[in-house]
Amino acid sequence: MYVGVDVGGTFTDAVLLEKNHVLATAKVPTKGGEELLISILEALDSVLRDVDPARLKRVVFSTTIITNFIASHKYDDVALLLIPGPGLDCNYFNFNAKTHILSGAIDYRGREIITLKEEEIEAVLSELALEGFNKIGVVGKFSPRNTAHEKKVAAIVKGRYPDWHVELGSRIGVQLNFPRRVHTTYLTCATYEPYHKFVDSVRQALVKREICADIYILKADGGTMPLDNSEELPVETIFSGPAASTLGVQALIPPRETAVVVDVGGTTTDLALILSGQPLLSAKGARVENRLTQVRALAVKSVPVGGDSVLKCSGNGIDILPERLGMAYCMGGPVPTPTDALRVLELTRLGDEERAREAMNLLGNVLGMGTEEVAEKVINMVVGKITSEVQNMFLEWEREPAYRVWEILHKHKVRPEMVVGVGGGAAGFISLVAGELGCRSIIPRYASVANAIGAAVAMPTLQINLRADTEQGYYIIQEEGFQGSIKNRRSFNKQNALDLAREWLIKRAQKYGVEVVPAEIEIIRQEAFNMIRGWVTTGKLFDVTIQTPRGIIERIGLGEDTLWLDQ
Amino acid sequence: MAGSINKKTGLIFFPAFDWAISPTHPEREERLLYTRDQIFEEGIMDLPQVVEYTPSLAAIHDIARVHFCVPRVEEQITEAHLIAAGAGILLVDEVISGRIENGFSMIRPPGHHAMRVVHGNRGFCNINNEAIMVDYLRSRHGIKRVAIIDTDAHHGDGTQDIFWHDPDVLFISLHQDGRTIFPGTGFTYELGGPGAFARTVNIPLLPGTTDESLHYILDNLILPVLNDFKPEFIINSAGQDNHYTDPLGSMKITAQGYARLTEKLRPDVAVLEGGYAIETALPHVNMAIILALAGLDYSGVREPDYWPGRFKETPERTKEVRRMVDELLGYWEKRDNYKPDPRNIRGNYYLREKEIFYDTEYFVENQVEKLRLCTDCQGYLAIESSVDSTYGRKGILCISIPFSACPKCREEAINLYLRQKGTGKYRYIYLQDKSEDAFMGYNTNNNEEWYS
Ligand SMILES: [Zn+2]
Ligand SMILES: [Zn+2]
Repeated sequence: MYVGVDVGGTFTDAVLLEKNHVLATAKVPTKGGEELLISILEALDSVLRDVDPARLKRVVFSTTIITNFIASHKYDDVALLLIPGPGLDCNYFNFNAKTHILSGAIDYRGREIITLKEEEIEAVLSELALEGFNKIGVVGKFSPRNTAHEKKVAAIVKGRYPDWHVELGSRIGVQLNFPRRVHTTYLTCATYEPYHKFVDSVRQALVKREICADIYILKADGGTMPLDNSEELPVETIFSGPAASTLGVQALIPPRETAVVVDVGGTTTDLALILSGQPLLSAKGARVENRLTQVRALAVKSVPVGGDSVLKCSGNGIDILPERLGMAYCMGGPVPTPTDALRVLELTRLGDEERAREAMNLLGNVLGMGTEEVAEKVINMVVGKITSEVQNMFLEWEREPAYRVWEILHKHKVRPEMVVGVGGGAAGFISLVAGELGCRSIIPRYASVANAIGAAVAMPTLQINLRADTEQGYYIIQEEGFQGSIKNRRSFNKQNALDLAREWLIKRAQKYGVEVVPAEIEIIRQEAFNMIRGWVTTGKLFDVTIQTPRGIIERIGLGEDTLWLDQ
Repeated sequence: MAGSINKKTGLIFFPAFDWAISPTHPEREERLLYTRDQIFEEGIMDLPQVVEYTPSLAAIHDIARVHFCVPRVEEQITEAHLIAAGAGILLVDEVISGRIENGFSMIRPPGHHAMRVVHGNRGFCNINNEAIMVDYLRSRHGIKRVAIIDTDAHHGDGTQDIFWHDPDVLFISLHQDGRTIFPGTGFTYELGGPGAFARTVNIPLLPGTTDESLHYILDNLILPVLNDFKPEFIINSAGQDNHYTDPLGSMKITAQGYARLTEKLRPDVAVLEGGYAIETALPHVNMAIILALAGLDYSGVREPDYWPGRFKETPERTKEVRRMVDELLGYWEKRDNYKPDPRNIRGNYYLREKEIFYDTEYFVENQVEKLRLCTDCQGYLAIESSVDSTYGRKGILCISIPFSACPKCREEAINLYLRQKGTGKYRYIYLQDKSEDAFMGYNTNNNEEWYS
């Protein structure tokens, strides 16, 4: 038996799965702060009832509360020690934190071109100590190619202030993008404590209910990691909300389908894509608040319209405002909303019809339009906004940069086959959105707890990035911050690089308690370049990224009872 | 000014990591690897001032508008060439539509040594990316006057050849003296055809020339000439082999020198050409050009072994540069009162003979170019070209009708094509009618005719 729990800002959802059946679902309000534990317990109790906890194989959590923490800036200040070296002025990227620039530079091959100045570091630390900082992010340009500078700075900090929390950019942002590495490191420092509290609540809940199953947390890329290891990289879990509902849909629709997931909420509609059965990952990394990070995440878009958005007259038209003033008018709320328009056109049975008509008339009287006319206009606007954003997502995906001839030649157009609605407000809009896009529309039976289902079916994923430079005779395992030497520099080849990466992935998997079948390891990226200097090959450069397979553990039974074709 | 009205700089980065002329050739997979590392690590693509595009493929038709590829376009190019040319076209579209302020096509393979007639690869180039952009601008966007400023260390002899007779395209090439480097041309006396005098400007520089002379030339020659010419569109053939670490060139230009050059020139689109110091120059110079285009501070971009004042100009070189600038300004001032050498005129036609060396595959092409001297237009062009042993003893005939052709020139050119199809004198005959955007070829062995 599997349990999935999605701790959202408003509701905590839970599901209990066995084989490919949903045995129980629950939805309880999320209580904040110290009472978080109570919400988690309520949700668990509701789905577990008479189930013997010993029968649970695993419990997976997903949460958006870390994202909320960041949004509300409820965390200690973080200081950044940056080693950017020559190049672009750092000030173009607003790191929005106490920042000190240190001397020193590493180049693209990982060679030191400017040394660190110890006395400068000491002076900066004294200043930070006076100001009361104790959370430090140390980030160097090209640090994934040579971690020495970051490690040296960290050692100096630890030497003087053993209690300070120090994070290194090279371990957190392994891709080549210094500003994103800085932001990601910053967020890792900032969320460390709030995340720790969340993990504590989860642990207590499990102890109280005597659950000793494997516990995982969902990551933004749709994979999971063991709860115990997740504290090292809390940022991986931020933004896992959209991943949860997308994986849920993946579990609820037939395999290999190309689908748009439309999650209509109160004031926003979240969109995600499933291409030939696989959720689409964003090419670069998640945007968290105004920070562009290196966190691998699903490609999701948020459209600022939802069932409870405020409608307002403006000139000869209607504006949909990105805010909520309460429930829809037909359900006793204060202002007209898209839900009222749905009610008038009988696209939903929620709420009171008379109040809905009244709401449309409030707008119609100003604009000189009839009740149905206003309702249709509103619905067309909402559907138009959603469909144009869906089309944009496909276009953006097609236009993702490619750096090889064969990649450009193999770019192709893909269009969705189905639109899948999840979320409270989905029902009325989905068939219209699908109509505009020329696809089928589906609202799965368990749409309202798709996020918890997504968490329950998610599988652990681990990645390894290896960089080998045979001319300089070293390799780096970026996730581990390990730098080793290559013994057979002349004969070291593509296969050796891949084997080495595999070895490290298996090692990492053991550390994380994740089972890996070597044959199932996926190669994400494999680059090999001959280095020619003066017509002679002087070395080879290898970049390898491999990971355990992405996917879901089970699909939920696809009978009449789970798939609702929305006519 | 770049970025002043919040418009972005468009970048196409196409390193063609799976394309090389040969494994150890300077034009190989590795060439833009460190450039990629640098611009990705700097986070350039995330800057609000920058927007990255994926290149699309140029059409065969866009290439046939410029080149006579023998026997056909498809046989002279690979997909990588279509992508490199397509990148320039995409940026042209985006600049003209106003969606971006300017653009940089960081692509390979390069193109500025590719001439009008293409029998093979010359100086690492098969087709001329900039010329394809120019004729696309004129055909698709109604642009008339274009300037190409070629700042590669090698003379842009291909671009010069293509626009030699075109008074509406100003071609300025600044390069290392042809007596010391491939392709051995680009002297001050190469000034363009009889109808386009001084619309070709060559600025040969002695080996060792520094930023100081480069900027003297920009301020005192290139910018004033551009100001007179008033182009509607400026393209920079942004070769980077003038850098002080380049293994093929012997110049002393720095990343800062390139950045200031870009800032002053303000090209609509810059196109990467050569540059083979793949570690020591390209990452820095490409960064410098991008930042200058986007109106961003480039003062922090510097090579690890550079310090301000490292390279000083010698008094002799300074004197020679000043003399040359005066000489070239003199030609420029006389541009509309030029009388062609009567020895080159036969009746109503102006003749030019050329011998073109293909360094990659080692063969020589012989050309006789015949321009109709016309008072109503720039005149059509007929080129006889032959390469020993390639297509037997017979040569080919290439006829090009310009965009602004008068009816008489056009009629005569078409009649020439029709007549020569029957004589059996040539192996292939081509008609490139830019005024009607129709490009055809004819194989006299099997009487097959095709449109490109
Ligand atoms: Zn060159
Ligand atoms: Zn004419």
